[in-house]
Order: sequence, then structure tokens, then C-alpha cells
Amino acid sequence: MSNRQKNIRNFCIVAHIDHGKSTLADRLIEKTGTVSARDMSEQLLDSMELEKERGITIKLTPTRMFYTKDGVEYTLNLIDTPGHVDFTYEVSRSLAACEGAILIVDASQGVEAQTLANAYLAIDNNLEILPVINKIDLPSANTEKAKSEIEDVIGIPADNAPCISAKDGINIEQVLEQVIDSIPCPNGNENAPLKALIFDSYYDNFKGAVCFVRIVDGSCKIGDKILMMQTGKSYDVTEVGVFTPNMKSTDILQAGDVGYICASIKNLLDTKVGDTITDANNPTQEKLAGYKEVQPVVFSGIFLVDGSKYGDLKDALEKLKLNDASLTFAPEVSKALGFGFRCGFLGLLHMDIITERLEREFNLDIITTAPSVSYNVYKTNGDMLEVSNPSILPPVAEIARIEEPMVKLSVFTPPEYVGAIMELCQDKRGEYKDLQYLDKQRVRLEYKIPLGEIIYDFFDSLKSRTRGYASLDYEVSGFEPSDLVKLDILLNGEPCDALSLITHREKAYSRGRGIAEKLKKVIPRQLFEVPIQACIGGKIIARETISALRKDVLAKCYGGDISRKRKLLEKQKEGKKRMRRIGSIELPSEAFMSILKTNDDEE
Amino acid sequence: MKKKQFGIYIHIPFCMSKCSYCSFISKCASKEEIHKYFNALNLQIELESKKFKNKIVTSIYFGGGTPSFVNHEHIVECLNTIKKHYKLDKYVEITIECNPCSTTTEKLIAYKNAGINRISFGVQSLNNNCLKIIGRKHNHAQAIKAVKLAQKCDFANISCDLLIGIPNQTSQMLLNDINLLVKLGVNHISAYMLMLEENTKLYEQVVINKTLGVADDDLCIDMYNKAYSILQSLGFNRYEISNFAKSGFECKHNINYWEMGEYVGFGLAAHSFYNNTRISGFNTFEDYYDYINCLGKQDSQVNEHITCLLKENIENLTTKQLIEETLMLGLRQQKGVSIKALNNLGYNILQLKQTLLNNLIENNVIEIKNNYIRIKENMFGACNQIILNLLP
Repeated sequence: MSNRQKNIRNFCIVAHIDHGKSTLADRLIEKTGTVSARDMSEQLLDSMELEKERGITIKLTPTRMFYTKDGVEYTLNLIDTPGHVDFTYEVSRSLAACEGAILIVDASQGVEAQTLANAYLAIDNNLEILPVINKIDLPSANTEKAKSEIEDVIGIPADNAPCISAKDGINIEQVLEQVIDSIPCPNGNENAPLKALIFDSYYDNFKGAVCFVRIVDGSCKIGDKILMMQTGKSYDVTEVGVFTPNMKSTDILQAGDVGYICASIKNLLDTKVGDTITDANNPTQEKLAGYKEVQPVVFSGIFLVDGSKYGDLKDALEKLKLNDASLTFAPEVSKALGFGFRCGFLGLLHMDIITERLEREFNLDIITTAPSVSYNVYKTNGDMLEVSNPSILPPVAEIARIEEPMVKLSVFTPPEYVGAIMELCQDKRGEYKDLQYLDKQRVRLEYKIPLGEIIYDFFDSLKSRTRGYASLDYEVSGFEPSDLVKLDILLNGEPCDALSLITHREKAYSRGRGIAEKLKKVIPRQLFEVPIQACIGGKIIARETISALRKDVLAKCYGGDISRKRKLLEKQKEGKKRMRRIGSIELPSEAFMSILKTNDDEE
Repeated sequence: MKKKQFGIYIHIPFCMSKCSYCSFISKCASKEEIHKYFNALNLQIELESKKFKNKIVTSIYFGGGTPSFVNHEHIVECLNTIKKHYKLDKYVEITIECNPCSTTTEKLIAYKNAGINRISFGVQSLNNNCLKIIGRKHNHAQAIKAVKLAQKCDFANISCDLLIGIPNQTSQMLLNDINLLVKLGVNHISAYMLMLEENTKLYEQVVINKTLGVADDDLCIDMYNKAYSILQSLGFNRYEISNFAKSGFECKHNINYWEMGEYVGFGLAAHSFYNNTRISGFNTFEDYYDYINCLGKQDSQVNEHITCLLKENIENLTTKQLIEETLMLGLRQQKGVSIKALNNLGYNILQLKQTLLNNLIENNVIEIKNNYIRIKENMFGACNQIILNLLP
């Protein structure tokens, strides 16, 4: 192996959300002088406006740093990763491009659900794990406890774990030194045919699709003819480079390097994440393992307030899909909302981010229907349908049984909240599996619970019942038969398909009532009285009435000032743009999502 | 064929004191200031008359502020200027807004002699408590007295403004007021729902400090509907959402606004509409005087200055805006909006809003009669929403 590779370390940072990943990344970048203090901005690698605003990482962003230890200059490639449970998939992508992972644990919080989940992911990928205790500046920090939790719960030694404060820049060098000492260097064959893993890609208007790669074997430079092993397409390389963290072109990328490759690739779909790039003239025999295809678990209809912009919505979704393989969409027609798309997401946060980006980056006024999971519907004739859209559920008579997706849920919590969490899980039709004391202050609860219950208001309820002290992780664990029914909502006697949902029979009454009450609150008074009814198979189970609007007038025309009045009217009209006319009723676009949260008002 | 209407509006921006609900441009001023204003006003009336040489004035309206607050000689002089420079229709309607406490026999006689034939009293309420709350300076007795005085001076066409929704006002108070005024012989009533305008004392009291509460929407509409019923039973016709009159006593000047007719406004903050152009008046005395000084000077630099001054005040209406206004103003009238007028502007409402129109008709919100779309009797309170629905 060359000396060159000996001086490279490829690693990522994993942690539970809010344990300080992006802050540590900032400090490492600062300490290594990668970005001058002048250009340093908070959470540097979170470049999306949304990421900075919410303090979360959505996309993974690589950066190259230099650090000199004992007179030797090392190249450190850091790949930042998202922390939310929705994006576990992205974490596993970056892991496959590294030899090691820094596992951050908050000294005041200890090991949380995502700490464990991410640690397991890293172990599965054969990565060297470097535990780091962060936030030692906090008064509530307990480094010894955090260390012992790492050893007891995860089962890796934490004796030598650096105790740092990323916020205050304390002991950052220790982290860098340990990255060099304990994370293995890459071990590729520089003379073998090119073998590179695409761990991410994005579309650049000038360069075309840009592949983020880890070179495993061989090398790649401008003019090389490359082959995408999965798609079978080949291209001429137009640029290679590294992340500083901005993209900077270089002459060559060699085994062990992390960088990017551009090859005038018009379609981002041709740069499949997980695909192997090789030399078209001298291909490698074996392609890399790649990633398992990620499956969306939450589905929702996305429609437009202004139906005529359907083409724009399609373009926008296609563009987002370019950089987000996990997003799926297929055309959907709703009687109430017209043409739109049924979109699949990794989770609610993912859905939230996509819808917000559609509005912000593409300037679309969208209507989102309440999210649903995908049910397996077995018909009496033996067919099986995957139903993620309540309005296409076959008539009851044709259904033999419906199976719903279940998840294995694990919740980490201080013991005093166990009762409240059990109550919540029971209420959500959860089946108790296990309870484990990790130490005196921490319990791990395991439940089998329908995914459909988690996507409603589970996160919020868990947070409020445990004052934010509990954390959770889940993975889909198969389908189980369940007594599910379709709940329809009638407005002024007309069923509104976009408001339908599938729910457990025992919960249908309370949900129907809750939704009717909620709709009464969010739908403004109309020109006539509007009854809202919830029904199951034609049977009305709840009813509310919105009384007619009575007063909305403008005062007199002062001295013939008609302009002022017209402008007031125009302003009012602008406000109505977010309204959607369905039959004889005008609905605010939020109405469709509002049926999600029917409980919080009572609490 | 109906006679083409042309109105003149004169704004008198002076008051004895500011009412708590008023967001209008008006102030208390010295004799000298008032004198200066009328000089400018008369000059404007004279100099701008060139543009209206071929118009026949069918209505003149002195509004404010409080026109009755200033010395009646100013009003008479102003009217004389108009008569001198404009052609007046034989049946010209000339209205002056009067405040009950500044109305005197002397003024009324002067008005009458000058040709004013319609008085509009800012009564607002006959309940002393209500009057106090909104900062009016007159009381019940003064209002009654003023109306009687006007009748004594031979004014046959008398209107009274009433407010609906004053804090602490009840339906009964409002109905009492109406009964009493009609009994007195008032033949026109404008009943406006109180609007809380920003930067008024009332707004501060109700919205910011919450020391006063106003009637909620339902109560307001109840009061309005009750007022409508009683006025109807007393032989009044609601010809516009807020205006009720015995047959023949409808206000020509206001109808002209709602029919998209042409008018010119003189004075501070006075609005004009002609050649499909809306012009709003200046909002400060400074700008107004500046403008008047420039008028009539044949100087390119001055002309440029005028253009600059007026730039923000002129609005050439687009077809879309014309449609919006036609709909908005038409639907506020009892007879509704003319489908033909909308068609002439290129808005085929029957075709373009077919489903919606049918919907609203089925739900008893509107009706179509004699090629006019009009709001059903009991739906006038939600007028804005209906207009919004029918906009292109």
C-alpha cells in the first residue's frame, strides 16, 4: 500500500439528534484551517436554508481537511450525516464510504435511541467507532456516566473517549489525533481498474449530474471513459475534484480519496446512489455491494391550490427527486382536489421538508392530504392491493382482510416516564415486548406498534408526556391483519375524497368526532350553513355544523374613494388564494392536514 | 335613454373636533386657515373647469369634515364659482353635510338661497350615551332640533346618517332612532356599520386597550337586518346596501358613484373619476397648496412638478379593475350588477362562473332578474364574500 493512502482518513460523525454533530464538524473544519475564520458560518455544512433554520442536517456534505501530526500531513475526509430517524438511510450511505465513525454522545443526555441505532449501523458496516463525549461545558454534564453507558449499552470501550465541548472548542485536537490513531487508513489497490462508490449525487445546472464518490480502487481523471455498472451507461469524465468544502477541481482522484466526478451526465437518475463507477475500457470484475433500495413508509397526496400549475408541480417533484432518491411519486386524481401526486416519504419529517421545499424553492401553493401508511388489502377474489390512498380502498364486500405495517419501536427514557409511555403505546394499539434497565436512570422499552399510529401524533405526544426526555427509534417489521375501516367526511352532504382516511374500527368514532370538530374550527363560515359529517360505510357517526357567514361588508364610499375599497377587496381576494373550492364549499388548504392532529386541542 | 350624470364633490377638511371613529382628513382650523383653503379651492374649481367644458353637472356634494362648521359665506362663494364655470343641469341635486350642533337658521337660509336642495345630517345616533362614546359633540335634542330647523327652512330632501354597532348600542336604540327620524319626516337614511379604522381613538380603545367592546358580527347583522325591516315597513327602499330612501329621494350623487359615472372632486383628499381614470386627492395641505400654486402657470418646469405631484395619485383602470369595480359597486345596489355591463367589459360571467352562480342561486344567496345579478334580501351582510366569489 502506498504512503499516500496511509495518510488518508475517511470518517463520518454519527449521533442522536441534537448531540452536536454539525457543531463538531464546524470545529474540526476550523481547527484544521480548512475554512478561514472570516468565511466560517454557523453549521457550515448545513447549506440548505431549511437545515440552518431547523438545526437539522438533511443532506450529507463531505469536506476535506488537512491536519499535521508528528510532522506528517494527513488528509481527513469528513462526511456529515443527518441525525433524524427518517434519514437513517442517508447515514448508512455515508458509512459505506468511510473506514471509521465518530460517535458523539451528549454528556448530559447519555446514550439515546438514535445513538444506539447509529452505532449498530456503523458496526454493521465494519467501521471503527470512535466515541466522543460532547457538551462537557454543560452544568449537567456527567462524562463518567456517558462513558459507562457507551460501554454497557453499546458494548464498545469508551475509556479513552475524548471529552470535548464542540461549542466552546475544548479538546478538539484530541478528536483529530484519535481519528488519525484509531481509524484505519484506506486500503485500496491503486493499480487495479477503477472502482468507485457513488454515495450521493446532485444536479448542477452547468456541470450536469455530479457524483459524490469514494474511490475504492484505481484512479480517475479528466478524459477517462467511465461506466456506471448498474445502468450500463458510459461517459467521458469532464471534471474531478474534492470538497474544500466547496467543490474544487483536481487532476486526479485515486484509491482512498473522497471527491466528485462530473461527466456531462444529463439525467441524475443515471447516477444511481450506491452504483459502482468503473473504467469503461478496463472494467473491474466485481461491483460494490451498493445500498439496499429504500422504501417510503408514509404517503400523502400533494395537490395545488391553483390546479392549472400541475406541470410545475411535476417538474418540481422531478427536480427534488434528482437529489432525493427516497422520494417517490405517482399521479393521483382526486374528485375534490383534481390532479396531483401521491408521494411516498421516509417519514413525517421528510414529508415536511419536501412540502416546505416545494413551497419555498418552487413557489408552489400546495395542498397536502393527511399522511397514510400503505396497507396490504387482500380481496375476496384472492388479489392483493397495496393501498396508500384511502379513497381507492375497495368496497367492504370485496375485502377479505386488511394488513397494516407494524414497527419495532424502542424508546429510551428515564424510569419515571415508563408509565406514561406505556399508556401512550397502549392507546396507540402497541403490543408490549420488553423493558430493560440500562442503568438506574435509563430504561429501554420495546413495543410492536402499527406504523399508522406512529405517523399521527406519536412524536408530539411522547415529547409532551416525557417533557422531552424520551427518545425513540423504530424499524418496519412486517404486516399484520387488523380491523380497519375507511372513515369518510361529508361536507354539505357531499363526500370529500381528500379527507378520507383508514383507521382502526375501535378508534373510528373518536377520530370521526375529532375530525368533524377540527374541521369546524378550520373552515371559515360560508355563505350558507354547512354540515360536516363523518361516516363509516354510509353510517353517520359524527356531525358538526358551520353556521352561515353573516357579516362581511365594507363601509361607505367616502367622498367617492372607490380605489381604496377596490384595493381592500383585492387584498381580501389575495387572502382567499389559499382556499380551495370543493363543490359548494371553500376550504383552506390547511384543512386537509388538520385532520391529522385532532387530539392536541383537548389536551 | 337616461341622462348622463356628472358629479362634483367638494371636500371641506375642517371639523369642530375629531370624532373617535373618524380616520378622515379633517382638522380644527383658524379663520385664516379656512380662508386660505377656500381661496385655493375656488381657484382649483375655476382652473380645472377647462377639462369639463362639455359636461353637464347633475349633482354637487359638499362633504367633509364638517361643511356646516365653516362660515356659510365660503360655501356660497364656492357654489357661485361652480355656477360661473360649469354648466348645471336644471334638476341639479346639491347636497351639504351638516353637523347638528353647527347648523343654524342663518346658515340654512344661506344654503337654500344658494341653491342647495339636500341636507345630510351626521346624526349617527339619537342616544346620548352612544353619541358620547363616539365623541360626537351634539346630543339627542340638538339633532332633532337641527332636522326641524332644516324643515322650517323649506328643505324637503333631508337625510340622516346612522351608525350600527356603536359600543353599548342595542337594536332597540337603533329602532327608536329610526322611528323618531322617520316620524319627523326624514326621507333618506344612511345606516353604516361602524368600522374600526386604525389610528383612531376608538380603534385604540377597542382593539389596543380593550377598554370598550363593540357589537360582534352577529349582533351587528341582526341590528342591520332589523333596521332594514323597519325601514321597509315605513316605506323606505334599500337602494344600496347602506342607503334607504322613500321613492324619489335617493341620492343622485351617490348613485352616480355606484353606476361608475364620472365625477370630479375638488379640495384636499377629494377623489375624481373620469376617462376610466381614478385620481385621489392630496392628503396634506402642503401638497395641495403646492399643487394649486402650480395650476395655471404655463411653465414646463411647473408642469413637470405637477406631473410629479400627481404621479402617485393617478390610476388608469385596467379592464380587470373596471370589471372588479363594476361588480363590487353593482352588487351593493338593490338592483344588482348588470350582466350586460360585465359582458361589455369582456367578462362573460354567466358562462365563466356558471357552476358557482348555480350554487349560489340554489343556496338562496343571489338571484338573477332582468339580466341583473343581485344579492338576496337577507344576504347583504355577507356582500363582500359574494363579490369576492364572483370576481373574475
